[in-house]
Amino acid sequence: MNFYGWIFLFSSWAVIIGLGSFCFYKVFAEKDEEL
Amino acid sequence: MSDNKKESWGSKIGIIMAVAGSAVGLGNFLRFPVQAANNGGGAFMIPYFISLFLIGIPLMWIEWSIGRYGGIFGHTTAPGMFQRLWKTRLSKYFGVIGIFGPLVIFMYYIYIESWLLGYSFYALTGVLGNIHNAGDMSAFLSGYQGLESNRFFSGIGPAYIFFLITFLINAGIIFKGVSGGIEKFCKIAMPTLLIFAVIIMVRVLTLGSPDPANPDWNIVNGLGFLWNPDFSALLSARTWLAAAGQIFFTLSVGIGVILTYASYLKKGDDVALSGLSAASTNEFAEVILGGSIIIPLAFAFFGPVGIKEIAGSGAFNLGFVTMPLIFSQISLGALFAFLWFFLLFLAGVTSSVSLIEPAVAFIKDDFNFDRKKAAAIVSASTFILCQPAIFFLGRGVVDELDFWGGTFCLVLFGTIEAILFTWAFGIDKAWEEMHRGAQLTIPGFYKWIIKYITPTFLLIILFAWFFQDGLSVIRMQGVSENNMPFILMTRAGLLALFVTLAVFVRTAMKRNHPEAAK
Repeated sequence: MNFYGWIFLFSSWAVIIGLGSFCFYKVFAEKDEEL
Repeated sequence: MSDNKKESWGSKIGIIMAVAGSAVGLGNFLRFPVQAANNGGGAFMIPYFISLFLIGIPLMWIEWSIGRYGGIFGHTTAPGMFQRLWKTRLSKYFGVIGIFGPLVIFMYYIYIESWLLGYSFYALTGVLGNIHNAGDMSAFLSGYQGLESNRFFSGIGPAYIFFLITFLINAGIIFKGVSGGIEKFCKIAMPTLLIFAVIIMVRVLTLGSPDPANPDWNIVNGLGFLWNPDFSALLSARTWLAAAGQIFFTLSVGIGVILTYASYLKKGDDVALSGLSAASTNEFAEVILGGSIIIPLAFAFFGPVGIKEIAGSGAFNLGFVTMPLIFSQISLGALFAFLWFFLLFLAGVTSSVSLIEPAVAFIKDDFNFDRKKAAAIVSASTFILCQPAIFFLGRGVVDELDFWGGTFCLVLFGTIEAILFTWAFGIDKAWEEMHRGAQLTIPGFYKWIIKYITPTFLLIILFAWFFQDGLSVIRMQGVSENNMPFILMTRAGLLALFVTLAVFVRTAMKRNHPEAAK
């Protein structure tokens, strides 16, 4: 894998992990109330 | 008839898992890596993420908001919801697609899902592990599907038994209802399948170079095959369409199932954060897990020339022939093959229950049946409707159902709902609706994106897809004369199903909601 391949892999993973962490932090930070 | 009470979700994480479960399916683990590898590698991620933020996430918010809004008026399916958004008699007929489309997908999807259960069984019992070449593995698949009688299978019997088991599992979940069935199942199945995928991913990433004679055939170079960018691909419209199409199909938007799921929310429940959470869960499964398993593994075993051939042979071949063949060559292969097929099976069930739910909700809420009666009616009807996909698989019936239900209806329905919500209902009301009860402030520029960019992008996809792929299928180009009657019969059956649903919708709306069109 070349340098640009690693850049694309890690930046894609970073966007997705960042988005997921942000969302689920907010979901779980507020108690999972009964809907 | 019964005293019919509106159902609801038990918890926020429950609906997020249910919507994510609907989205996560075979496409995440099989379709995405093939699309990326064939369309510019790492460079594919540029149009992919642009499409995610301009089409995928906005459509998620649109569907969640329309669903919750419709639920306030007692609508659990698209026809009633569309009539609330655009008060004309015509709008409910556009909404019929939101029941018809998922039903058509269900008709063949559940059969493919049952193959995964069958392959899980054959993996665990060591049958797949004893097959060591691609020709035999293809013969095993053809025999299992009943396309030929060979030394592995003499008929379709075993496949039909696994179909019956799969169908009963789906029917059982639907019988139990929204909170007791779908939510409970998805809250267990989603983490389980993600754990299985992580276990396989770790095994793949630590495999190194399995063939000492070819040290370059290794996992890192396999990742390179998927991720090394080919920037020239960005100049091709086909790459952009492939990326937009992948986002559209992977998120389960444009089907109608999210509308039904969101209709079980209460008026003040959040949709902004929940929609984004479901989308991000799907992306985790697709890009991080799906992108790290199948292509690197196939590269490490078949090398740079073999992988090109495999990637070009389609997702099914990759999933049902290449993967079991590879697992048969690694230690604990039977276990990993089982994990692979069973995680795909779980992903399939969480998707198929969502596909059947709009029809159940329609019968239940618009004809005032209780959950069990509605589930029984829909189960019996769909059981009959599934049979052509099983017995005429080799006649092109599944491809035809996939074209109308899994592609045409999706793109058309997604475009219609985006236009109705932002233009007929009005962007100001739509924006207010998206923010009611929101635990997340959607950035202001999204108002502009949702009003102009998303519908325009969808119209471009609709027209480009129609002229690029759609017309040739509609004209039946490439269909053999022997298969022609089966294709025509399938089309006649689908038309009859659509008309029947439209008549039911008309009757139900006239009786239950005469005020909706005024």
